[in-house]
Amino acid sequence: MEYILLIVGAVLVNNFVLTRFLGICPFLGVSKDLPTAVGMGGAVIFVITCASAVTWVFQYWILVPLHADYLQTIAFILVIATFVQFVELVLKKSSPGLHRSLGIYLPLITTNCAVLGVAVLNIKKELPFLKSCAFGFGAAAGFALALIIFTGMREKISRANPPVAFQGTALALVTAGLLSLAFMGFSGLVKF
Amino acid sequence: MNIISSLFSGSGGIHPNDSKKGTATQATVTPPIPPLLAVSLSQHLGAPSKPLVKKGDAVLKGQSIADSNGFVSSRVHAPTSGKVVFVGPRMTASGKVATVVEIETDGLDQPFISEPPAGDWTTLPPRELIERIHQAGIIGMGGAGFPTHVKLSPPPGKTIQTLIVNGAECEPFLTADHRLMLEQAESIIAGIGVLQHIFKDAQVRIAIEDNKPDALAALARAADKLTGDVQIVRLRTAYPQGAEKQLIYSITGYEVPSGGLPMDVQALVENVATAQAIGEAVIRGLPLIERLLTVTGPALAQPRNIRALIGTPFSDLIAFCGGPRGPIGRLICGGPLMGIAQSSLAGAVTKTTSGLLVLPPEREALFSSMPCISCGRCVKACPMRLLPSTLSEASETEQDAIAEEFNVLDCIECGCCAYVCPAHRPMVQHMRRAKVRVQSLRKQRDAQKKKQTS
Amino acid sequence: MDPVLTQTIIIGLTGLICGAILAIAAHFLAVQENPRIEKVTGLLPGLNCGACGFAGCADYAKAIVTQAAPVNLCQPGGVETVAILAAELGVQAVAAERLVAIVLCNGDDSRAARSVVYNGIADCLAAEFVGGSGKACRYGCMGLGTCARICPVSAIRIEQGLAIVDPAICIACGKCVPACPRTLIKLIPESRSIHVLCHSQDRGPDVKKVCSVGCIACTLCVKICNGQGITMNGQLAEVDYSVPLDNDEVIEKCPAHTIHRRTGRKPEKPA
Repeated sequence: MEYILLIVGAVLVNNFVLTRFLGICPFLGVSKDLPTAVGMGGAVIFVITCASAVTWVFQYWILVPLHADYLQTIAFILVIATFVQFVELVLKKSSPGLHRSLGIYLPLITTNCAVLGVAVLNIKKELPFLKSCAFGFGAAAGFALALIIFTGMREKISRANPPVAFQGTALALVTAGLLSLAFMGFSGLVKF
Repeated sequence: MNIISSLFSGSGGIHPNDSKKGTATQATVTPPIPPLLAVSLSQHLGAPSKPLVKKGDAVLKGQSIADSNGFVSSRVHAPTSGKVVFVGPRMTASGKVATVVEIETDGLDQPFISEPPAGDWTTLPPRELIERIHQAGIIGMGGAGFPTHVKLSPPPGKTIQTLIVNGAECEPFLTADHRLMLEQAESIIAGIGVLQHIFKDAQVRIAIEDNKPDALAALARAADKLTGDVQIVRLRTAYPQGAEKQLIYSITGYEVPSGGLPMDVQALVENVATAQAIGEAVIRGLPLIERLLTVTGPALAQPRNIRALIGTPFSDLIAFCGGPRGPIGRLICGGPLMGIAQSSLAGAVTKTTSGLLVLPPEREALFSSMPCISCGRCVKACPMRLLPSTLSEASETEQDAIAEEFNVLDCIECGCCAYVCPAHRPMVQHMRRAKVRVQSLRKQRDAQKKKQTS
Repeated sequence: MDPVLTQTIIIGLTGLICGAILAIAAHFLAVQENPRIEKVTGLLPGLNCGACGFAGCADYAKAIVTQAAPVNLCQPGGVETVAILAAELGVQAVAAERLVAIVLCNGDDSRAARSVVYNGIADCLAAEFVGGSGKACRYGCMGLGTCARICPVSAIRIEQGLAIVDPAICIACGKCVPACPRTLIKLIPESRSIHVLCHSQDRGPDVKKVCSVGCIACTLCVKICNGQGITMNGQLAEVDYSVPLDNDEVIEKCPAHTIHRRTGRKPEKPA
């Protein structure tokens, strides 16, 4: 039961993109086209879930026993970078089309503050291993959800004819703000 | 014969004022033979007919003046006797330039064939009956103009179980089919009899909208002569009830699959006028050289139902109806929802011209087109359950892949979306444009695929 | 233990292990790619216009390297690109003459009459469904800008209801040619500068009713050229672009002022 609350909290109540404002870069960059957005969402879910697991292990089995908590940031970035590179290699082999359309945003998952944010938050909340993984999965699922909703909206906007002053990123950012406002409606749903 | 009501009701549609009061009760009149006839050789869907005559040739009424050019093509005949004065390109009522044969009539109306064909047609095999239909130049007179002999020859493996005769005439203003059913019910039934010989196992359903109770009664009486599974079906009046796919659903409950044809659900639809022409061709050997149409509109002095020769110039028809009542704002060939606005008075009657609408200049507000406000009225009205708002936006921003994905090729161009749009967007024009672009996108894609595999 | 040593060992070891994992993964997940394709792609202009008949520059490069496609198909690239590609692949190639697009109509609003008001989508393909954009001539330029919008380098502008190609900007990708529903745009060798700017098949008197500069089929130009260079196609005089034509007399003698000299891509030498 707690796992469900944990995940719902991460997906809806404290959505990583729309409430915590992490991971805005790929959110704006990959949201032009739905198949690409879905691919990105899948990649992020894989990276964040696995990264949550591995960083948790790294923190509690290596860093803490060796009194080296201060190495957290560097070590986590190393682990995350490895995972992202791995995903890129797999994608290039299995679906070159998706790899090409994601372009630079795939390696940018490495420096995506959402990934590091999840890893660090897991440690801060002192969550046990399985709950860390669940939280990671929920955070990434929330990212994917926000990304897919936003992509759908942007595709619809691309068919409209907004005034010149609003065209492009301007209207996208306004829409993101409104989407964030909408997600505020979930606050209080789960106390977490 | 009993009249039954249709069991199924499709989605969407609109209920405009049918504006048929002006001409529904008027008997058909035949104007005098016009001095000049402009007969197009591209009246049908498919390859234009090849001319068999040249400038200076004398022709007789019913004489063949153009031959089929391939399988999906048709023949064209001289509507009356006279002399050919021009064979060449002319702008036609469909908005396209086509080869037109202009005939200067001599007023004598001398026929080419004066006797019906010998022998009993009921003993002929279907193949021969279909060939007679081909020789008579019969095409779908409901508006599509598809060569009838091709429609009546489904490929092996496709059987026809339901033969639907379309007397719906759902478009406002038009009353020609209504008058045809009242005045020539026997002739229509004779044509249906011919169709029964071609499709011996099919059940026949004659479909008429319930705003024409007199036509329902007339055909019910005449249909007593037919044998086999024949029913008159009373349809709920709505636009576009008479559209092929909507009609098939109303009568059989089957939906023609996306990208498919009526024969895929074992159905075949023929307009009442086409059925009558089939009867005339097979039984009396007469080619298709005239048709009924409604010349009407608020800017016309005397709206009438007219039996016109193919090739009659529109200007002659308007003059015969007492001329325009004030300035002509818009001239539409066909009905108000699916017709084509004319760019001049130079058009002429073709085998598919169901009407001529003379409209006064319109109010300014009706002309300006605004961006889509996503109100959803068009989605509610679309009889094919498409998303016209998305399609029109995709067409405007030239996103052809989106248009293809949202099935713009299934649009029947009925005009319901344009009728309800509060922003007065030119919806049907957007759809047509998107269709052409999607088809060329598909062609490009196929060419690329061929290049890669070769 | 000394913290600095600890740090170095932890991070160093982690880095080495991660690196090793990635190296092994890269070996098993390697994707065969011909580096030559990338090199050839870099040698092409990168406009992805499709004039070569392939989907884009990368596609054409792939065809050149793997299927020995001819190297002289790139129009925007021109002679220089053909030479570079030929050198890179070690093949002989002759560059086709550079082309430029031209709109064969000169009927702008000051010369072509309008007969109806067109009230629909501002697109030539859409207007053609109803027979045109309001100009009385049914063969002439509709001036609604479909060609201008599809041009990737904005070489076409609409002036007074007439499309005009700027030959200095045109890269001859050919996208405008199928875009015009009345097939008014042609790709012609850039050295040919004399053009009959009309496409009408109407007879002379009918042309005069709708346009002041339309071809009236008087055949004077054909006679001046002795049938070489300009021939009659029905009711229209047509330039034969396969032969050079440099006769100013046809321009001066044309009674309807239909024939003009339009410069090619190269700037003209000062007189």
